[in-house]
Amino acid sequence: MATRLKDVDAVMVGMGWTGAILARELTKAGLNVVGLERGPDRTPGENFILPAIRDELRYVQRLELMQDNSVDTITFRNAASEMALPIRRFGAFLPGEGVGGSGIHWGALHWRFTPADFRIRSHISERYGTKAISEDMTIQDWPLSYAELEPYYDKFDKICGASGKAGNLKGKIVVGGNPFEGPRSDDYPNKPIKSAAPSLMFAEAAKSLGYHPFPAPVAIASAPYKNPEGIALGECQYCGYCNRIGCEANSKASANNTIMPMLRSEPKFSLRTRAFVTKLNYDKASKKATGVVYTDMRTGEEYEQPANLVVLTSYVFSNTQALLLAGIGEPYDRATGKGVVGKNYCYQFEAGAAAFFEDKEWNTYMGSAGVGMCIDDFNGENFDHSGLGFFGGGYFFCGQAAAPPIAGRNVPHGTPRWGSEWKRATVKWYPRFARFNTQGSVYANRENFMDLDPTYKDVFGRPLIRMTYNGTENDHKMSRYLLGKLEEIIKAMNPTHYEMYPRPRNFTIVPYQSTHNTGGTMMGADPKTSVVNRYLQAWDADNLFIMGASVFPQQHGYNPTGTLCALAYWSANAITEKYLKNPGPLVHA
Amino acid sequence: MRQLIVPGLSGAAAVVTMANAVLAADAARGQQVFAACAACHSEHAGGIGPPLKGVVGRKSAAVESYRYSGPMRRANLIWDESNLREFISDPQDKVPGNRMPFGGLHEQRDIDDVIAFLKTQN
Repeated sequence: MATRLKDVDAVMVGMGWTGAILARELTKAGLNVVGLERGPDRTPGENFILPAIRDELRYVQRLELMQDNSVDTITFRNAASEMALPIRRFGAFLPGEGVGGSGIHWGALHWRFTPADFRIRSHISERYGTKAISEDMTIQDWPLSYAELEPYYDKFDKICGASGKAGNLKGKIVVGGNPFEGPRSDDYPNKPIKSAAPSLMFAEAAKSLGYHPFPAPVAIASAPYKNPEGIALGECQYCGYCNRIGCEANSKASANNTIMPMLRSEPKFSLRTRAFVTKLNYDKASKKATGVVYTDMRTGEEYEQPANLVVLTSYVFSNTQALLLAGIGEPYDRATGKGVVGKNYCYQFEAGAAAFFEDKEWNTYMGSAGVGMCIDDFNGENFDHSGLGFFGGGYFFCGQAAAPPIAGRNVPHGTPRWGSEWKRATVKWYPRFARFNTQGSVYANRENFMDLDPTYKDVFGRPLIRMTYNGTENDHKMSRYLLGKLEEIIKAMNPTHYEMYPRPRNFTIVPYQSTHNTGGTMMGADPKTSVVNRYLQAWDADNLFIMGASVFPQQHGYNPTGTLCALAYWSANAITEKYLKNPGPLVHA
Repeated sequence: MRQLIVPGLSGAAAVVTMANAVLAADAARGQQVFAACAACHSEHAGGIGPPLKGVVGRKSAAVESYRYSGPMRRANLIWDESNLREFISDPQDKVPGNRMPFGGLHEQRDIDDVIAFLKTQN
């Protein structure tokens, strides 16, 4: 029997980026907030420090900061006709665990979606005709506009000390920035991070073909910086230990170093780690969430935490699972296309390339996940899709994330995988390669969704989330088109040798691709086709708010964190400015 | 003695020579230089480096809540001006194996000013 704890004003389920943002904003508004985190606490001082942090084996290969699959995982299948099997070790994507969540180990690429992305269904219908979108493509307009979200994008830029160059300042195009981005109210707080030599070669080649290169926007401070919370961030040292690792220089933004230091000294906030939320309590009659049940992972004891306001701030899978188990919202039914919870699951459709340059020598051991140059000419609706047979696109990126000692041995295809020949090739090519990526969008399809697995359960006996996903014809066509354009740029760089890496026909859960899972509890203007309204408030429980990429109606050709954090600030503002003054539905259907 | 090079005068560099002592240490300027240190050395709990409030004249490894490296715990220094100056100019030379990932300040004036600033933080 769960021990019933004292009522609190608000409870956060998960203390990553969105949990920290909401907890901070709600305590500022005077609420008593409990933050529940299933993993351990993590602070820069204890966990992101030398010499332990520069350990590729521990963090990059053995995934120390990631979700523990032995406690909880998901099951996967490519199609509804197959039987799903549990993922015993994450590969393609790596949900994080512990305070900071996936926002610790991210690459910190810091993007906004374009104004057209926010009304993608309308935009495509207007531009290419009302019959252009096939019936199985279930994309939807966002229930808010870019202009409405812009102040919150700007706010998150400043919290992170983001580095980049504006391409559109208040409607005025700025040379050297991304000319396709939506109008920004302000430039990035820090100048762009330095680009490495291969990235600059890529930019030059792209420019020679008439494209518009610009430095990648990153949530990494390029200079010492103080954020609006009063917290100092350091200058990126280009040490290379970035992806899958916390930042030793206090430069890459995470909730841990931008918001948590203030929350920790906030008396209205209480952090409980190793608190695994197993149940969202829901009163169907009154349409209210009444609190959550969690297990203390150190003792096995169960607690009920009643709360006036429940905020789901966990990862895409857990948010969706919580609703399905609580019976909130109608589960998506693939056969009829009805229902919403679990619908429009999307997974970023990336594809890449590598090029080798015999006559070059670069310091490829240095860098940072976001060090590099991009073009956005082939993203979303930035180009004309007439006659192409697909919609969507993505940005191109040539970066230098630093090549670590174990995984960073790029050798041309056909090189033996071990022995003296491999060693010779490693020595030769290690300082002479460049990597490229296309960050492809995913336009939701009725065949791709999440539901509860009928067979497999977690350690608490709860059914696992089952992912049914495969690349669609649209997304494959889109990706092949992007790779074709990328290949032209690579050829213009005049490499000794290059290789294109198209996506295999069927999605596989290895190797790593991105942790950009989206959908499942999508936001929308109509309760029949969405789970939460424009303020991320559940249609079926006005005191339940859902954060994160699970609210995306589809995934666009950019990394999701910038948008999901802007949405968290947008929602927090609606809660504190509107909901707390007059509790109830913020949108009447 | 050190040299300050002022470029751009009639295509030739003018070389100005001055004694260190001529420049009084400037705590306000030191606070600006300290921005490079502040990311890790902040007053907030859980920072990457220990808080530096009251560090001038303090014993090394004195902040109880901070987990110092072994070499720093064994260093047994008093952070007087001369030790601080040596440490700030080359942290790994002064205390080999300590965990601060910072190459050090190289301009004498920067070091003097930062120490002047730290003295005000008591």
